[in-house]
Amino acid sequence: MASLEIRAARRHFVTPEGGRVAALDGIDLTVGANEFVTLLGPSGCGKTTLLRAISGFEALDSGSIRLDGTDLAALPPFKRPVNTVFQSYALFSHMSVARNVGYALEVRGVDRKAREAAVESALAKVGLTGMGGRRPNQLSGGQRQRVALARSIVAEPRLLLLDEPLSALDRNLRQQMQIELKTLQSRLGIAFVFVTHDQEEALTMSDRIVVMRAGRIEQIGTPREIYRHPRTRFVAEFIGETNLFHATVDRIEGAQALARTAQGVEMLLPATGLRRGQAVTAVLRPADFSLADQGIAGRVTRAVYLGSDLQLYVQPDAGGEEIRVTARDGANAPATGAAVHLSYAPEAAHVLEAA
Amino acid sequence: MRNPIGWASLTLFSLGFFAFIYAPLFVIIGYSFNSNPVNMMVWDHFTLDWYRGLFGLAREQLSGSVMPASGYVESTGHMLAALRNSLMVASITTVISTVIGTATAIALSRFRFRLKGFYSGFLMLPMMMPDIVLGIGLLIFFVTIGMQLSMLTIIIGHCTFLSSYVFIIVQARMAGLDPALEEASADLGASEWLTLRKVLLPQLAPGILGGALLAFVISMDDLVITYFVAGTDNTTLPVYIFGMIRRGVKPEINAIATLIILASVVIAAAGLWLRARKTD
Ligand SMILES: Nc1ncnc2c1ncn2[C@@H]1O[C@H](COP(=O)(O)OP(=O)(O)OP(=O)(O)O)[C@@H](O)[C@H]1O
Ligand SMILES: [Mg+2]
Repeated sequence: MASLEIRAARRHFVTPEGGRVAALDGIDLTVGANEFVTLLGPSGCGKTTLLRAISGFEALDSGSIRLDGTDLAALPPFKRPVNTVFQSYALFSHMSVARNVGYALEVRGVDRKAREAAVESALAKVGLTGMGGRRPNQLSGGQRQRVALARSIVAEPRLLLLDEPLSALDRNLRQQMQIELKTLQSRLGIAFVFVTHDQEEALTMSDRIVVMRAGRIEQIGTPREIYRHPRTRFVAEFIGETNLFHATVDRIEGAQALARTAQGVEMLLPATGLRRGQAVTAVLRPADFSLADQGIAGRVTRAVYLGSDLQLYVQPDAGGEEIRVTARDGANAPATGAAVHLSYAPEAAHVLEAA
Repeated sequence: MRNPIGWASLTLFSLGFFAFIYAPLFVIIGYSFNSNPVNMMVWDHFTLDWYRGLFGLAREQLSGSVMPASGYVESTGHMLAALRNSLMVASITTVISTVIGTATAIALSRFRFRLKGFYSGFLMLPMMMPDIVLGIGLLIFFVTIGMQLSMLTIIIGHCTFLSSYVFIIVQARMAGLDPALEEASADLGASEWLTLRKVLLPQLAPGILGGALLAFVISMDDLVITYFVAGTDNTTLPVYIFGMIRRGVKPEINAIATLIILASVVIAAAGLWLRARKTD
């Protein structure tokens, strides 16, 4: 069952300098009724604008947004069955935590008894039982975040929008909240549209990731699809660390294609869809490589300690860009200046559809 | 900064500064208990007569009994009438200018329209303008439109510039407010009216109260503008006291001044307390 359907959504802004920015440049997106979808993209790509168009704070120039078949265009924000968790939390500092959480019910005229019960259960869902009497300024950042979350789910919206809700938290708390948010979402059984800058966050939490760039959708897919099969160079470089190889296909042998970079480094690639003479861009992640007796010959220019792993920067002897490789740290880990050979499983290499 | 001479001179300087500011106030408070009815600058002995006189008269005036015929008591009665006028003008002015100033601050920050900067600059002008210019301007205005000078003209005159004071204070508070608060309220289902009542006004409350207190105090205190627009039969306390300098000062004035100082201290303390209790 489809829940949210966005069709050909466009929205532009006029900058103070008189320029024109297409914040949404033809967005098509469908979000399922119980789906966790993440909008991911660099700053200024239109993520917030898209959320605000859904919640009703920005009008579209053209296109439509439907929720369970109803066009939202005519509804002002306060009539949309959609709630938002704001990046700044936007808690009402003059109200207690309980009244903050019950606000959506208070303004709908729900009576006190029913309200108190709903507030209790919402606070319990976010792990803040017993904190209702406090003021927002008597809470830690993580607790405020939970209050904002409880407040936005108390009226049982059909869709929850979250604009970088975790960006103000420290790393440990953020990771804990990521898991809790995901659990909460599947328990509530409603759709979440989540915005983040952080690709790791997107990979851990999402059912599907929407990678955006300059007002357009670059790719939509599951975290695995996005990571393993990026469609474009932009996606490949935005998600995770990437080595890109620009090469020309020399010949095809069964399931494998032999390609050669401009510097003459030989590469084996999966042959699917490739023909001789074709120029291709292949993606290999740092962890796809292993140190071996043969393969791409090079020299370690830098070894960065990451904890249990080492990040090696290997300059191929043939020339071209440095290759980033993840290797296990240990007694026989190569040091800076060591000569190494890099090998990889040809199936691990992914050829981009578009450059 | 552990220089003892420096510290000592700094302390002396601050003490001197405070003495300079507060000495006149303490002098007035002292004289309000001085029993010498002829020359209040000469200490006689301690008395509460002036206060008793004030409160006695106030009670009589309230109960509507006829004032004694003695000229001396009568002028104290005038003083109390002036005080009552002042309180009335200040209360009405405070209510009107708080409503106008607050509404303007909200409207200006929430709606976009042409010449907005120009407009809000214009709102500052009555504050910058010398009182005397404003007073003359108002007088000419009232005369031109043929309006009888009365308590009403005093109130209108006060509202013109006190609305600006309230506007500026509320606007400062408004500028510090996260616009997401109102969006959150709308997002949670509150209409604009509910958002105004349940979120915006409570959030602005410290600014609104601060503006109202300031408006009240300035209105109570205003001499120059009131002088121009009061006409002959309507006197506020500052105008009355100013006139006294010509007619001879009555010792009750010290008692009234002391009570006003007390009221100002209470109001200022309330203002400070409200600010300290800032909600975020
Ligand atoms: N009110 C506005 N007036 C003018 N331009 C705007 C306005 N709001 C957004 N923009 C522009 O629209 C584009 C998209 O903005 P948006 O806030 O949606 O980006 P974002 O993806 O949320 O970025 P970030 O990750 O930094 O939050 C940007 O170029 C921004 O400058
Ligand atoms: Mg944003």
